[in-house]
Amino acid sequence: MDPTPAPYLIRIKGHLGPTMLAAFPKLAARHRGTHTVLTGLLDQSALYGVLAEMEALGLDLLEIRRLTPHRTPPGADHRLSR
Amino acid sequence: MAKVTVISAPAGSGKTSLLRAWADRPGQPRRFALVQVPRGQQDTQQFWLDLLRAVRQITGVDDGDGAAPAATPDFNAPAMVDRVLAELADVPGEVTLVIDDLHELRAPEAPAQLIRLLTALPPHAHAILAMRHDVRLRLHKLRLTGELAEIRATDLRFSERETRELLAASGIALSDSGAARLYQRTEGWAAGLGLAALSLAGHPDPERFVAEFSGSDRTVAEYLIDEMLERQPPDVQDLLLRTSLLDRVNGELADLLTGRPGSEQILLGLEDANAFVGSLDGERTWFRYHHLFADLLRLELRRTLPEEVPALHRRAAGWFTLHGQVADAVRHTQAAGDWADAARLLADHAFSLTLDGQAQTMQALLRAFPPGGDFPELALVRAMGDLVQGRLDEAAAHLAVAEAYAETTSPERQRRLGVAIASLQLSLARRRGHLDGVIEQVKFLDAPVSGQSDQDIALDGDLRAVALMNLGTAEAWSLGLPDAVRHLKEGAALAREISRPYLEVGCLAQLSFAYIFHGADLPKSDSFATTQQRCREAIELADRYGWGAEPVVAPATMTLAGTMVLLGEFDEGEQWLLRTEQALQTDTGPDIRLLLHQTAGMLHAGRGRLPEALEEFGTAQHLASQLEGSQALASQMTGWRLSTLARLGLTGEARAALAALNDERAGSGEIRNAVAAICLAEGDPAGALDAVHDVLDGTAPVLGYATLVEAYLLAGLAHRELGDQRAAHHAAEQALALAESDRLVLPFAMTGSRELLAEIPGHQTAHRALVTDILDILRGSSLPAKEQPPSPPMEDITPTELRVLRYLPTNLSRPEIAGELSVSLHTVNTHLRSIYAKLQVRDRSSAVRRARELRLLAARHTR
Repeated sequence: MDPTPAPYLIRIKGHLGPTMLAAFPKLAARHRGTHTVLTGLLDQSALYGVLAEMEALGLDLLEIRRLTPHRTPPGADHRLSR
Repeated sequence: MAKVTVISAPAGSGKTSLLRAWADRPGQPRRFALVQVPRGQQDTQQFWLDLLRAVRQITGVDDGDGAAPAATPDFNAPAMVDRVLAELADVPGEVTLVIDDLHELRAPEAPAQLIRLLTALPPHAHAILAMRHDVRLRLHKLRLTGELAEIRATDLRFSERETRELLAASGIALSDSGAARLYQRTEGWAAGLGLAALSLAGHPDPERFVAEFSGSDRTVAEYLIDEMLERQPPDVQDLLLRTSLLDRVNGELADLLTGRPGSEQILLGLEDANAFVGSLDGERTWFRYHHLFADLLRLELRRTLPEEVPALHRRAAGWFTLHGQVADAVRHTQAAGDWADAARLLADHAFSLTLDGQAQTMQALLRAFPPGGDFPELALVRAMGDLVQGRLDEAAAHLAVAEAYAETTSPERQRRLGVAIASLQLSLARRRGHLDGVIEQVKFLDAPVSGQSDQDIALDGDLRAVALMNLGTAEAWSLGLPDAVRHLKEGAALAREISRPYLEVGCLAQLSFAYIFHGADLPKSDSFATTQQRCREAIELADRYGWGAEPVVAPATMTLAGTMVLLGEFDEGEQWLLRTEQALQTDTGPDIRLLLHQTAGMLHAGRGRLPEALEEFGTAQHLASQLEGSQALASQMTGWRLSTLARLGLTGEARAALAALNDERAGSGEIRNAVAAICLAEGDPAGALDAVHDVLDGTAPVLGYATLVEAYLLAGLAHRELGDQRAAHHAAEQALALAESDRLVLPFAMTGSRELLAEIPGHQTAHRALVTDILDILRGSSLPAKEQPPSPPMEDITPTELRVLRYLPTNLSRPEIAGELSVSLHTVNTHLRSIYAKLQVRDRSSAVRRARELRLLAARHTR
C-alpha cells in the first residue's frame, strides 16, 4: 500500500454545515450545487478514517477520487496545485 | 423465517427500531436474546459473555443461583461457543438471537467464532445480525441452502404512505403535499423522519418547517439535529452536549458533567419523548444516545465548548475510577490527554483487569497511547500481554524496564510495583521451567501488606492473591512442598475473601497437584482418596463458574486423571485426561503439556500398549528439554521412558540414553528402577537386583513410594528369574503391603507382575483382596467407565461391610474371610446378608458385579 499522502476528492450529497465540517479538519470544503466537495492530502489510514467518519455521520457518499497532481481539478484548493 | 437474517444498512436506517419492534410485537411466540455490541468492542470474551447472559436471561437460569457466567484471564472461545449452543438447545420453543451493531466487533478472531455458532444453531434457533456496513462473514453455505435472508437499506426505507402514518401516529397534522415534501427530502430515511417528527411535534407552523427544510441544501441529519436542539430548553441542550462524550450515561454522571442536579429526570423525559435516547437497563438508570445523534452532539460540543472537553473527560474518569470501572476511567483519562496518569491507572489495575477477563480491552487501551511516548509504567502492562502471548523474551525485557523504573518511585509505590513484577517473574520462570533462584528472590511476597487505605488494600488483594498463587505454583513444580501448600492455601482463602473465584480455582487446582507429592514418601491411609477429593472440589468450583474447560482447572483434572491411572481405573482416567487436553487447547506452556503426555504414557503403559506409551513419554521428554531448569517429575519421566524401551526390546537404545544422564539423575530411585528393567530385558536378573538395591535400602532418593513399590516388584521378578520363589513372594508381599492403603495398581501393571502375583499361594499373602483386584485389572477387565453410575438406591454400605465386600471377588470361602478379618463366621454372614439386601442381589457373583458397577471396590471408597 502506498504510504505517501495523495490528494483526494470526496463528493457528498447535501451541504455540510459547521458541525459536520468539524469532523473533517484536514479537508477543504466547497459547495458545488447541492453537493459538498471535500479535498485534501490524505494517506491511506487517514482516508479510511475519513470514510468511517462519513459512515458514522450518515452522510451520502457520491464519489471518491484520487487526483493526479499534474492536473488542477475543479474545486481543488491551492494545496493541490503544483 | 430464514436460519440467519442479515440486516445491513447505514446509520439511522431504523435497524435497531425494527429489531425492537419485532421483539416487542404483541403475541410474539418466539423469544429474543438481544445483544448490542458496544462501540469499538475489541474484547471477544466480553462479547461472548454478553451473548451468554442474553441467552440465559430467556432461559431464566440467571436468577442469582451463583452460576452467573464469569470472565477469566484465559478465555477459551471454542468452549464458550459450545456453551452458548448448549444453552440455546435448552430453550424451550423458538428462540431468536439478535446481535445489533455487529460492525462494532473489532476483534479479528471474532468472525470465525461467530460462524461456528451460526452454522451449528439448533433447529429451533434463529439469528438476526444487524450492521451498518457489510461484515465479511463466510456464510455462503447458508446462502446456498437458502437459509440466509438479507434486509438492506431500500427494504427499510419508509414509503410515502408510511411517512403519513408516522406523522399521524405522532399527532402531527400536515397537509398531503407537506408530507410528500418531507418524504422526498428525507428519502424515507428513518432517522431523518424521526428527527423531523420531533421538531414538528408542537411546532407552531409545521407547513413552514417542512417548506424551509425542503428548501435547505444542508444534510438531513445536521439540519434536523440543529432544529431539534434549538427547540430544547437550555439545560437540556447543555446536558446533551456535555454528556455526549460518554458511551453511556446515568443521572449521577450527568449531574457531575453539567454541574447541576436533576439530570435523571431530563434523561427519562428524553427517552419518553424520542427514539434518540434509550435506556440500557430495565430500571432505566443507564442511557445511551443513538450513535449518529451522539456523534453529531460530540462534534457540536468540540466546536462550541472546545476548552471544556478535557475537563469533562477528567470528571468522567474520576467517576469511573471511583466506581471501579477502570477501562472507562483509562479511556477518558486518555481522551483528556493526561497520558502519564492514564499509564499509571492502567498499570495499577492491570491484574484486576486481567482477572475481570478484560485482558484484550487492556491491550487495546495500551495501543491507544501515542507511539514513542515515554511511559515507563506501561512496561508492566506490556509484559503481561507478552506472557499471555507466549513472547517470553519480550516479557523479560519489559519486566527489566519495569524493575528499573520501580526503583525511581516512592517507597510505597515501589512496594506495589515490586509485588506485581515479582508475580510476573514467577509466572515467566514457570513457563521457562527455570525456577531455581527465582523463588528465593521473591520470598518477600510472603510478608503481609499493612498500613494502607481501604482502596489500596482492595487493590492489593488482587495483587497479593495472584502473587501467592504464582509463588505456590512455582514451589509445587520445584517440589518445595510445605511452602507450596501453605501459600496456595493462603491464596485460596484470600481469593475467597476478596471474591475472586478464578484465583480460588487456580490455587485449589495447583494445591491438588501439590498434594499428589505431599506426603507421598510413605503410604498413608487414603492419601490418593484425599487428593482426588481435593481435585473434585476444585473442579466443582470451576464448573460452577463455567470454567470446567479452561487451563486454570487443568492441574486438578490432570491430577485426578493421574491418580485414576495409578489406581488402575484406566477408563475413567482416560476421560479425565481427555478433559484436560481440551482445557489445555488454549495454553501454550510446555510445562503443563508435559504432564499431559506423561499421564497419557502412564495410561498406555498400564494397559500394556507399549509403543504408544513410548511415544507419549518421548513427547513429554521433548517438552521437558524446552524447559530450562530441572523439574519435579524429570527422573520419573526418563525412568519410565527407559523402562518402556527395554520392555519393547530396545535395550541398546535404552542403554545409550542411560549413558547420557548425569550422575545426580542416574542415582535417583526412578532411574535405578529403569536400570533394573533394562537388566531384566537383557536376561540379567542379578544385575537387576543390584540396580534396585539402593532404592530398597533407602539410599537412592525417590519421588514417591510408588517408586519403592516398583522396585520391590522388579526385585520380585528378578528373584523369580533366578528361581528363588520364596524371595520372589517376599518381595511381592512387600510391594503389596505398601500398595494396600491406596490400592495402587499401576506399578504392578507397568512392571508386568501378573504372573508374579498369580503364583503367590492364597494363604501366603495378607493382601488377598488387593491381589484379586489387581489380577482382575491386569486381565483386562478394567473397571467399567463411569457413565453416571446409577446412584445407589439404597442406604450406604458401612465401612465394616465394605471390608467384607472387598473379599467377595477372591476365591476365599466365608470361613476363610472370617479368618482374614479376625471375626466370627456369624458376623461375616450377617454382613453378607446386609450387603446382598443393600445391593439388591441374591448371590456372591452378582454382588461382585454390582459392587464393580457402583465402584464400591475402588480405592476412594475406603473409609
